[in-house]
Amino acid sequence: MFETRGDVIERDDFCSLAPIGWLHHKMQDSFFLVVGTGSCQGFLQTALGVMIFAKPRFATAVLDEDDLSGRDTLTALMPIAKAVVEEHAPKAIFLGSTCTPEILKMNVAGCAAPIEAETGVRVYPVRMDGFDASYTEGEDHVLGAMIARAPNGEERNLVILGCLSAIEETEIAIECRAMGLPEPSFLPDESALALPTIGKNTVIAPIQPYLYQACAYAKRERGATILESVFPYGPDGTRAFYEAIAAAFGKSADYGARERDVWAACEHELATLRDRSIAVCSDAMLELPIARTLRAGGIRVPFVSTPKIFKKFHARETAALSGVDLLELPDRFEVFSRLSETRPDLVVANLNVANALEGMGFAVKWSTELSFMPIRGFSGSSALFGLFAGAMRRHDALAKRHARVGTQAHPIDLEFFRPQTHRAPEGVA
Amino acid sequence: MRLAVWSYQAPAHVGVTKASSSFSGLHTIVRAPKGDGYAAIMFAMFERLGVPPPMTVSAMTEATLAGAPADIGRVIADVDKRFSPKMIVVTRSGTAAVLQEPLDGEIAMMGPNPVAAEIFQATTHPVRDTEVSAFARTVCEIVNHFAQDGVPRSAEPSVNIIGPALLGFHDVSNVESLRRIFADLGIAVNAVIPLGATPDDLRTVGRAWLNVTTAPEHSRPTLLKLHERFATPYLESVPYGEMGTTVWLNDVVQILEVPRDRVRHAARNARLGWYARTVDAHALSSKRAAVFGMPSAVAGIARVLRDELDMRIEFAGTYVKSEGDWLRAALADVCDEIIVSDDFHEISRAIDRTRPDIMFGSQMERHSASAVGVPCAVISPPAHILNFPLGYAPFMGYDGANHIGDVVNQTQVLGLEHHLIETFGPRGQGQFAEAAPELQEAPAASAAASSSELRWDASAEKLVGRIPFFVRKKARSNIERYARERGIAVVDESTVLAAREKFGG
Repeated sequence: MFETRGDVIERDDFCSLAPIGWLHHKMQDSFFLVVGTGSCQGFLQTALGVMIFAKPRFATAVLDEDDLSGRDTLTALMPIAKAVVEEHAPKAIFLGSTCTPEILKMNVAGCAAPIEAETGVRVYPVRMDGFDASYTEGEDHVLGAMIARAPNGEERNLVILGCLSAIEETEIAIECRAMGLPEPSFLPDESALALPTIGKNTVIAPIQPYLYQACAYAKRERGATILESVFPYGPDGTRAFYEAIAAAFGKSADYGARERDVWAACEHELATLRDRSIAVCSDAMLELPIARTLRAGGIRVPFVSTPKIFKKFHARETAALSGVDLLELPDRFEVFSRLSETRPDLVVANLNVANALEGMGFAVKWSTELSFMPIRGFSGSSALFGLFAGAMRRHDALAKRHARVGTQAHPIDLEFFRPQTHRAPEGVA
Repeated sequence: MRLAVWSYQAPAHVGVTKASSSFSGLHTIVRAPKGDGYAAIMFAMFERLGVPPPMTVSAMTEATLAGAPADIGRVIADVDKRFSPKMIVVTRSGTAAVLQEPLDGEIAMMGPNPVAAEIFQATTHPVRDTEVSAFARTVCEIVNHFAQDGVPRSAEPSVNIIGPALLGFHDVSNVESLRRIFADLGIAVNAVIPLGATPDDLRTVGRAWLNVTTAPEHSRPTLLKLHERFATPYLESVPYGEMGTTVWLNDVVQILEVPRDRVRHAARNARLGWYARTVDAHALSSKRAAVFGMPSAVAGIARVLRDELDMRIEFAGTYVKSEGDWLRAALADVCDEIIVSDDFHEISRAIDRTRPDIMFGSQMERHSASAVGVPCAVISPPAHILNFPLGYAPFMGYDGANHIGDVVNQTQVLGLEHHLIETFGPRGQGQFAEAAPELQEAPAASAAASSSELRWDASAEKLVGRIPFFVRKKARSNIERYARERGIAVVDESTVLAAREKFGG
């Protein structure tokens, strides 16, 4: 089934507007105004809002035929921005440009300053199209726009870059205190106006592998130092991350004992997974660090696929994965072929294909959950492995019970929906 | 530009995809930026397909903006090889349409019959068409494409059921309900369109004696086209309710010249009429309902509530603006106020203004209604995964009438129970505690109750307060277990983190 290897790229990826989900939740005084089509609105509604038809802090300025035939963008956008300010009173608006404005070469970014001047509300222009950006890179672009407005200065400070939960932030703050480092700033913080100093003495520690552009911008424009480390996923990654932060401030820290303790604490999850194989399929760009820490935990990883590999930014992750087959921007069916060749015990895959893979007989952990669960740091490690171990245990338990009773879970395909009139029972003419 | 937050209808290319992907043996190619392909995930998740959805996104990239051709021919060739469909339907999203890529030219360049599958280009307008109009037109064009002339009528009376689709509202159950009725009447079902229909089913679509529909707004072009080509009569009404189904069946048997007494046989399990006579249902006469959603569902269900349960209809309405006049005519004798609007705030305000005893609407009305304490049953898309039941839950036919009675009953009882609990129940207990986390626990009090010697400092309390409420209780007990095991007297932030390190969660 689907063995044919073609060269069409069927990317299992979502729209780059998706990070609005966690970003608007994090920055409670923000509003995300997206300039785009009905599809953008439809995506936001389907992905972020289907259960909460409330008064959300995101909306779409849907282009109409006048906009397509060249109406002045600012003239059209200003009343909409004013209505948003009136209705929601945000402290800051993220003004997102999407695919269609890019095609039309509309100057959406150029509307930011006049809207800010008129409304008195800060406006961050953000390019959020999904032509080449993988979906989590929407966050990268938002943070880049915030860095552009952050104050410059000489201050020696630490900025933790990437959207985190309160519990993850607390761990990092406690560890920095313990190491005698300056109190870290978090970007984003709970206010969309909270911007740390970013200058030549700033150390930026990116939490996520998809924050390359924002880091590159801070380095290029402000001379900031970008932490060179693996990302803080799993006990091994977290140890390296803290030790690299200490080193960046001229201190030395040894988290070896701590790493061992956390591994020991993860044992109740790892026991389920050890010596089994987990394939990690392309989704949120978290695949490299996830695969790296799975391997460190004694789990076999037959291959990893991911939307993008930034050679230098991901160098430490790829080095730690040496010997593992890495696929960059794979076609969906290329991944399917690898899966049928390697038959892993568990497949980590996104929601586009998760059910289809279950239908093909694989045990699946849906990877989108990794994006919004607090699984980073030492305190998140057990939860991280728990996601995979939980899926594995559930699969094993159900399979065992089915085998005992002699039942099977039949996947539903299109044929299932053909009414029974078309399906004569066997042996009946 | 217009500000849009929630909308009832998806863009046109989603309507095309819902239609074309519902047929068996077809594959849809959507030319669009990758994000516009989000319908795929609805097929995968809502319909729980155990196979990749029969659609492929031909993704526009930066290279496209720089002038690279769509190369749709290569995509078509690949899909043909990979899926061996009978037909490949090509459509594009609004964004792709703005770029005006010459897809027609590229396909023409492929020459005649370049692949095994037939190639079909959707003719819908990516911006001017809506989800509903794009769906209706695509079904009609695909049916018209395959239908063969000169096919004789079937020997025995038969019907086509037109309208049910993947992602349709309870359509799988609706089809089953109608199938059971037709079986009782000795009428064959020739084809169900588009749900599961193969090109072979469509070639012989002219065999049927009569076309019926589950949604005229989705089927009208097809009904008219088949009438034009095959002189097949059709019924535009939809069988909702016990009376409604009987009226509809009387028309069916008259057209098909089937003995009328079989209708009574088909109705043998109908219970809605009797339910309405039982004393438990007498109170419904004093109840006021409002109904909003897809036009045919609204017309059908509002009439059941008024005619069969004797409820009063405060207002009815639809977001399919082109069907406003149809709905006004359909409900002229049922209610005074018909709202035709796709502005969800307007409906929300109407619910607030009229405060019906029970609302029937989409998921959007469910939320508007719950905000003002009005119980709501979902009877129309936009729907969510919970509206794709595993079991048999039709809204049409006699079984559907029974189900509507259950829905009314359950929704009303729920409303009543809520009041009882409010009035007599202890706060924070009963089934509504789950839905009202603020009633569940006063954090300090529960901490104190669970352990007299253990204290929580303010920062730890704050931190644990930010753990999602559905796992907070478990996290709290893990933390306290951790603290007690280690003889910690005061839980602070680092205790919380250390416990999480140990227990996860």
